Amino acid sequence: MSFIKKFIEQETVSRRNFLLASAYGISGAAAMRMFGPSPVQAATYADPTIAWSYRNRTNPYWNEIVSGGEAFVESLGKQKEFLTHLINEGSSEKSLADVKALLAKTNGELALAIDTNDAPNARPVVEACVEAGAYVSTLWNKTDDLHPWDFGDNYVSHMTWSDEGPAERTARILLDAIGGKGGVVHLGGIASNNPAIERLDGLKNALKDYPDVELLDAQPADWDTQKAAQIMASFITRYGDEITGVHCANDTIGYGVLEALRAEGMDVPIVTYDGNPQAVDLVAEGKILATVFTNPHWGGGITASLAYHAAVGHFKPSDEPNEHREFYGPTIFVTPDDAREFKTNYLENVPTYDWQDFWGPSNGQIMYK
Amino acid sequence: MTDISAQTEALGGLLTRDRIVRWAPVLVLVALVLLFPFFEFLADLVEGKEHVYLLDSRFFSIRNGARIGIAATPALMVAVGATFIIIMGSIDLSMEGTISVCAVLFAFAFLGWGGTLASWAWLAIPLALVVGALLGFVNGMIHVRLKIPSFMASLAMGFVGTGLALLLTGGDRLRVEDELFRSLLTVRWLNFPIMCYVALAFLLLAWFIQSHTALGRNFYAVGGGEQLAQSSGLNVARVRIMGFTLAGIFFAVGALLAVGRIGIAETATGNNFMFVSITAVVVGGTALWGGIGGVWNTLVGVLIVNVINNGMVVIGLPPYVQDGVLGTLVILAVALSTNRKSVTFVK
Repeated sequence: MSFIKKFIEQETVSRRNFLLASAYGISGAAAMRMFGPSPVQAATYADPTIAWSYRNRTNPYWNEIVSGGEAFVESLGKQKEFLTHLINEGSSEKSLADVKALLAKTNGELALAIDTNDAPNARPVVEACVEAGAYVSTLWNKTDDLHPWDFGDNYVSHMTWSDEGPAERTARILLDAIGGKGGVVHLGGIASNNPAIERLDGLKNALKDYPDVELLDAQPADWDTQKAAQIMASFITRYGDEITGVHCANDTIGYGVLEALRAEGMDVPIVTYDGNPQAVDLVAEGKILATVFTNPHWGGGITASLAYHAAVGHFKPSDEPNEHREFYGPTIFVTPDDAREFKTNYLENVPTYDWQDFWGPSNGQIMYK
Repeated sequence: MTDISAQTEALGGLLTRDRIVRWAPVLVLVALVLLFPFFEFLADLVEGKEHVYLLDSRFFSIRNGARIGIAATPALMVAVGATFIIIMGSIDLSMEGTISVCAVLFAFAFLGWGGTLASWAWLAIPLALVVGALLGFVNGMIHVRLKIPSFMASLAMGFVGTGLALLLTGGDRLRVEDELFRSLLTVRWLNFPIMCYVALAFLLLAWFIQSHTALGRNFYAVGGGEQLAQSSGLNVARVRIMGFTLAGIFFAVGALLAVGRIGIAETATGNNFMFVSITAVVVGGTALWGGIGGVWNTLVGVLIVNVINNGMVVIGLPPYVQDGVLGTLVILAVALSTNRKSVTFVK
């Protein structure tokens, strides 16, 4: 039956494209829209629906992302409820189905910011949006062969973070703090998650320059505080005083490590990642040596903003250079020296961002290995 | 419970099939506790280090026992709550949501009413227990009055709980940093932190309820043969609702200990408790079809699961085989502790 559904979908799209094309007085645009990028500006909308599609708000990180999306919507003079939330609960199928449902409901008049849950799901989501004439900006997940510039204006942008470099830098801070000798353990995220892999790779890169430091063990703690505490306790049993430093894949793991150390009355330097408020406090207190802030609030806001401003026609994505279509998000290092200042500037008073400064805080074009 | 059939046999008196099955979980636990040090011994042997078996073991030490204890106590409380339900032949999967709600409400109240146990904030502890009881009561009412299978009713209530906790916190985490409350983790008596003794006290309470109250005996009656219990005049619906309420209270105790352990209350506080507690109950020898087992089985089951988790890291098992090993050991433990002769069918 799917071919019938597809036929109806295509018919709907062609009819709409035909009407739009007539309205713009551009003959042939309808046909061209069906076959890849168009040299003309895709249809824009006066007041598109703005939506964020993501896992859920339980995780503080995604909570920050979405609060950025809400801040952006409020900057348009709308209620934050104007932002439509598509929650995939970790299911790519639900992610795609929700997007298709919203495309049908809005008739394609949609500015969508999305993390597609896994990389392969990015293509069907983008294709569905392009076909419906909606504007989509992706965050984190996409395959390496999928590029915004292959889809004209409708696939606006992709932003991600490379964690290897920043994780290497925090590792160096840790390794310097322990005097370049001893043993470190690493507690990672869910083993198959890309950031988890990159953050461990960062540590391994740094270790090459510190021959007297041994990587005693690395185990996945699944980004979970309680699991991290248990694994750290087991590490302490196995290695005891051999552990002179701990490299954690993120802040929530770091909290568990600190509690496990506290239960034993041990004091070992640790570094974390993500720059959550509690971690920044702990950095200021000197309990964590360093963390990395990736500014999820800005990331969530700017992703929605890019899709929106493209959808209303404030800029034409295909006129922008490639580094404005695929780029790395910001990374800010937080160390005991600047933790308090950082907290005042970024966390206690969430800065009012200029949501039309799309690329100012970003970190260069994405490089593929 | 005495085993009459075992006593009548003179020679096989010590090693009847029944008795082996009954003590299988303990045997598994003892075997594991001896197995992990053996791997350490082998590792040191290969490296040529001097190693006296057990004596030089890092796993087989009081310090590590305390670490396993810290890891096990919140899960033990949750599993004890689930035990009552499973004895009745039902199942309760609402623990993750219940724990999150209890933890979050406890933290809100505790921080709001003074933030230290030395003030009125101590009232947050009974509040959390009441909230747990209430959630369990609602759970039981839905199961009994709406006649929804406990599996579905409790699973759904768990989701409601997680959602409620998220609504309350808005995704934030609450820090409970009161030194007095955190002494659950930081103060030790005889090498073990206070939270282990708190758990022990509640375990004894659970044992008392199980074997010295009418309610406890009714759990077995319902699990052993619900229709028989019903026709003997037992108000099964009431027993079920009380069982779920009691389980809710134990989930709340687990939540308090979990917060005491890491000093954070959040929506994620309840994560992973469902798997650990149900596994522990079953591994301990409490049968999923009801009527068999009890809280001591659950203690052994929780210890087995936590000894495995701790031991695998201590002997340096690669992370990618750990889940597989855990699953295999669970099947092994359940297979050993199930008396297949007494079970005609498994659903």
